[in-house]
Amino acid sequence: MAPGLLAALLVLPAPAAPQPGGAFRLAFGTDPPTLDPAQASDTTSSTVIRQIFDALLELDERLEVRGALAERWAVSADQRVYTFHLRAGVRFQNGRELGATDVKYSFERAARGKRPWVFEKIAGARDFIRGRSPGIAGIRTAGERTVEITLERPFAPFLYLMAYDAASVVPREEVARRGATFASHPVGTGAFRLAEWRHDDELVLERFPEHFRGAPLLNRIVFRIIPAEITRFNEYRTGNLDVTDIPTGYCRRVQRDPRTGHDVAIWPTLGTSAVRFNVERPPFDDRRIRLAIAHAVDPRVAVRGLLEDCVSPPRGILPPAMPGFNERVRALAFDPALARQLLASAGFPGGLGLPRVAYYYNTTELNQRIAELIQAELGEIGIRLELRRLDWAAHIMLVDDGTAGFFRQGWIADYPDPENFLTVLFHSRNVGAAGNTSRYRNAAVDRLLDEADAMPAGVARFRRYGQAEQLILDDAVWVSLYHYSSRALIKPYVRGLERSPLSSAPEFLAPLRKVWLAR
Amino acid sequence: MRVVRPVAQRLLALGPVLFGITLLVFALNAVALGDPARAALGQRADPEVLRQLRHEYALDRPLVVQYATWIGRLLRGDLGRSYRQQRPVTEVVADRLPATVRLALAATLVSVVVGVGAGATAAARPGSGLDHALMGAAVLGISTPVFWLGMMLALVFAVGLDWLPVSGYGGGDLAHLVLPALTLGALHTGTVARMTRGSLLDVVRLDYIQTARAKGLAEGTVLGKHALRNALIPIVTVIGIGLADLLVGAPLTETVFAWPGLGRMLVAAVGERDLPVVMGAVLVFAVVYVVGNLLVDLAYLVIDPRTRAAD
Repeated sequence: MAPGLLAALLVLPAPAAPQPGGAFRLAFGTDPPTLDPAQASDTTSSTVIRQIFDALLELDERLEVRGALAERWAVSADQRVYTFHLRAGVRFQNGRELGATDVKYSFERAARGKRPWVFEKIAGARDFIRGRSPGIAGIRTAGERTVEITLERPFAPFLYLMAYDAASVVPREEVARRGATFASHPVGTGAFRLAEWRHDDELVLERFPEHFRGAPLLNRIVFRIIPAEITRFNEYRTGNLDVTDIPTGYCRRVQRDPRTGHDVAIWPTLGTSAVRFNVERPPFDDRRIRLAIAHAVDPRVAVRGLLEDCVSPPRGILPPAMPGFNERVRALAFDPALARQLLASAGFPGGLGLPRVAYYYNTTELNQRIAELIQAELGEIGIRLELRRLDWAAHIMLVDDGTAGFFRQGWIADYPDPENFLTVLFHSRNVGAAGNTSRYRNAAVDRLLDEADAMPAGVARFRRYGQAEQLILDDAVWVSLYHYSSRALIKPYVRGLERSPLSSAPEFLAPLRKVWLAR
Repeated sequence: MRVVRPVAQRLLALGPVLFGITLLVFALNAVALGDPARAALGQRADPEVLRQLRHEYALDRPLVVQYATWIGRLLRGDLGRSYRQQRPVTEVVADRLPATVRLALAATLVSVVVGVGAGATAAARPGSGLDHALMGAAVLGISTPVFWLGMMLALVFAVGLDWLPVSGYGGGDLAHLVLPALTLGALHTGTVARMTRGSLLDVVRLDYIQTARAKGLAEGTVLGKHALRNALIPIVTVIGIGLADLLVGAPLTETVFAWPGLGRMLVAAVGERDLPVVMGAVLVFAVVYVVGNLLVDLAYLVIDPRTRAAD
């Protein structure tokens, strides 16, 4: 080819109109345990579920609520009754038309599944979940295509819950026919349907041409199951994946490498990595000890040294990408001199007389290095740290039952609202496995959170959360290390892949029906 | 038939062996930290759901009852359901079996062809430079970490040269098998090579080999025809046990090459505390191991007539 012609080809503008066809190739680290929206409790499963099923609503890239199965909705003046009007002519992948009773059936089924908290704000849901009533009283169908949902009390983020994958709508007859195997033979209304699933190898979705929005652009989506991140990276480099995550420790390298530099996409997600204390367990029942540790740990070292500045340093508990993030909330500053003073005032000058402190974390290379860093930093003020490295199942057990006094824990929001961070993680009602593993009980915080949870959306509500957040930070029950970001490599020909703060590589929770390949 | 009795004895012994193994695995699981119901729920667990799930998994019953129930089901040929995947364990294991068998056989083939070849070559000129080089390579093969070797092979032959696929099962395509088989085979190739060399050198000192040489047979014929056959018994033992070893899974190789085999599945199941899958998989492994050893013994009968007469 003549050089001139080649240059001409290179400067050709990208086609403006989306091109249909092709297979979009991604990879997961693990096989999804289930494709049943009621049974999922992990993001890998959710990614696939979101393609096969639809919920009443969905969130766009800017986290704004859009209609999905519901074309419009209305909220009563007292903010308790939500009326959803379903689109006409929506069909399940088995050909049957969707109706309002499917919504009620699906919600009740999922409320008794693995994520009941998605439905527990609905009036009568708690009784139903505990088996004390035959149905959820607050879900009522009115006619063929109208569903009316009444909440126990107002809950501003309720629409977000209706966009969550646990609230996907399933066809009753398929669930009845398949029983437990519905999890591997899912049928939804989504833009894609399951074509093939070879466990631990490959999961293939194909377009569902009768989708209510029209056929999606892609013919197929291929999720390869590749456990080693370095293997995913190699598959990407050889052109066998269109998207992948960036391996640990490769963030700067891929940015500098001319072969991958243009493909790097880094965007903030709604998560925070932290260390937490069980405030019931000595010596962490003494606020001064917690404060001493909080002031002795410098998160910037981990952010720069271990995470290559590819995540953001902590501002507070809420990540900056979270609606309601409060600029004025202040985390405790790195101040080793103050830390030493606090330790002395607690009766342990220079750490003298303080027994070894155990730090619990689950096995990953990054967690190991962070643990060693914290060990060194606390050593500087005289606190001797003993590292307790456990696998996830053992770690979460010791954290939940209160054995661990000082431990690693992160949180990634399920929906973009401070309630999903602060109330879940710090309300005394949620002590233990439900989220408050700090076992923190502060009446003032509880009151602020209760008020904010029931307030109408708006600045005043967010201000309450900010006040609660500051109280929690000042009590040093949680020390943020960094805010998560999603780090991905995306081939330049991939278009329409949303980078929502709720989505992160390699689990693209974004709707893949919008994706097309400009090749 | 003299063969029948030892085989029958071995098969009868299988029962107690398997019982012992399942008891051990169950006990290990019972003392290990972690709760299967909690592990299935992600980070945020509703206490009510946790209680219901523990009930559903029968974890709220005494350990003896749990184990007895499992054995009772087993006797009816039922390995139970995976907590995690909500599918029968037999199905979960059967899904991975073809990939595991393919990889184990291919790796064994690599170790036999390369190992016996290298061992015989080294034995032909003991003490020579070639001998030292081959045996050095064998030690290297045995001691190279599998994960590292797999990564290097993938980097050179898949990413760099683009001759072979990086990873995956490829629907059974042979090209996908090459790198995993080489990686997994490397370990046993070294062992087989060293065993072949040692065993051949033991045999060539025997009188009948001197006789063969005295008859004026070529050295190749002496080693290949007369010595190798008699040196085979220890080699077959290594190969047989190696094959059983490989069938039991090669989690690291399977992880590097995203190979959908049993070893990787078992490691994941242990991490998720998916007890029925762990128990079922270990049981299958135990059967493979015991039967593998039995086949090795049977192979002796074929190779060495003396073992037939001795009984």
